[in-house]
Amino acid sequence: MTYSYIKPRKKSVITPEMVLAFTFFGITLFMLVCTYLFLAYKDYSFVKDTNIIQTERVLLEENLKKMKTEISFIEKQKQFSQSIYTNNSVLKDSISNLFDLVPQRIILSEANLLENGLILYGITPSKDVYSFMLQAPLRSIFHRTYSSFYPAKNGWLRFVSTNYSDKEESIDEN
Amino acid sequence: MLNKFLKTLYNKVFVNIVVQGTKSMVYVEICSSNVKPELITNAYAEFETASLNSKMLEFINSYTKETPYFYISVLDSSLEQGVIPTCEKNRLSYFADVSASEYKCTQHDWTYFTSKTDLYATEKKYHKIGVDFIFSPFSILVHFFKDKISSTLSMYILIEASSLSIAVFNNDKLLFGNHSNLYDISETDGLSSGDLEYDFDLELDDGIDLEDVALESSDIDFIDDFGDIEDLDAIEDIDEFSVHRDLEEELYQATKKASDYATEENIQSDSTKDYLRFTLIKDSISTYYKDEKYESEFIENVYIADSVGVSSELKKYLEEEMFLNVYVRQVDIAVEVCKLSKMEFSQ
Repeated sequence: MTYSYIKPRKKSVITPEMVLAFTFFGITLFMLVCTYLFLAYKDYSFVKDTNIIQTERVLLEENLKKMKTEISFIEKQKQFSQSIYTNNSVLKDSISNLFDLVPQRIILSEANLLENGLILYGITPSKDVYSFMLQAPLRSIFHRTYSSFYPAKNGWLRFVSTNYSDKEESIDEN
Repeated sequence: MLNKFLKTLYNKVFVNIVVQGTKSMVYVEICSSNVKPELITNAYAEFETASLNSKMLEFINSYTKETPYFYISVLDSSLEQGVIPTCEKNRLSYFADVSASEYKCTQHDWTYFTSKTDLYATEKKYHKIGVDFIFSPFSILVHFFKDKISSTLSMYILIEASSLSIAVFNNDKLLFGNHSNLYDISETDGLSSGDLEYDFDLELDDGIDLEDVALESSDIDFIDDFGDIEDLDAIEDIDEFSVHRDLEEELYQATKKASDYATEENIQSDSTKDYLRFTLIKDSISTYYKDEKYESEFIENVYIADSVGVSSELKKYLEEEMFLNVYVRQVDIAVEVCKLSKMEFSQ
């Protein structure tokens, strides 16, 4: 049972000055915590980014290796294609020269280009014409030249000229 | 939770203020920080003010600044306070007008009340230190005589410097209660301090006649009872009073004299005050027996809680003139207020 007409005031240790001090310290602490959290987040983010970048770096390095391999392959291909182009050019020139070598009086019916040789089929009015006008330039080009003749119906001679270059020399030439 | 923990760390300071006339008594107890406070030290001081002066403020602040858990208790000194022998709200107005009063019901089915205006005035008076508890003198009286109240039919009186709190209890049941101011009777009866001195001296010389005393202070309610020859005499007095006296002037004089009386309190003899107290007690007993509102049962014993040191004459008059068995106990009201304050704190 209460005896007093009025109720006692609420008692508290916390005075307005203490409230002010606590508020100040509270705000400071809050800001410190916020700063700590911000820095912690930034640190986490930085570590995460570093890991991502390192992973990317590894991937890029792998890609780089792959690309270097591809580049070297492509360069080889290029060299190969250039060599093919050169060979083709040489071959074209050779063929052009070959056809230039063939005189008006000799008619070629077939020409087989071998890796290290040339086989010509054709008709010549005579052996002399063939020997002077075709065999002589072929001998200057190839190391070994073999010719065989057999008569045609019109009195001319069909010939088969087989020409070879020696392998070592042909490699040197390449 | 935190507050409860902090509460256990601090000492409790109970500051108890009792205004006695033009003086204020301040009793301070510093108690341990336990749930049930135990006394560590105490201090007592009297100040020549009925309000709060700078010295008193300094004295109180010197104790209250040490802990946030200090409790200021004030004894209610309102003139418009009293007790009502019921807690039923619809019956309160039968005994007293409590429309402008703060009232509290006790566990023994009686109510004590006081003026709301005076409560606010008290709170305003001590606003610099604040007020936590305002106790009724009847709470002090009941607490002080709790060993007697629960088992006897008796009248209990708390005597303060300027007022009396009178209550009649029958085994915890309140039958009657009245709070009277000593200076009211001098104003209402048109008695100056000089008159009182003279009358009382005269009576002391000639011996006190109970009938005369009854006539001088008879209540207006006595007019209704024409069968009693004493009341007829009283009517003559009242008629004379009403016809020949200048009421406005009387009131002015009485107020002035009462004011003078308050300032010259030390000069007045204790006997004069005791006579006033005797008159008030006699009037209260008369009201108790005659007023039909109260359950009148015959009183044989009177227990007086004396806080001012009344003379033995008061006891003698009550015993000889009213045939009562009078028991006087000395009481330090400020200490009793402190006890109530601690009880309130422990709840």
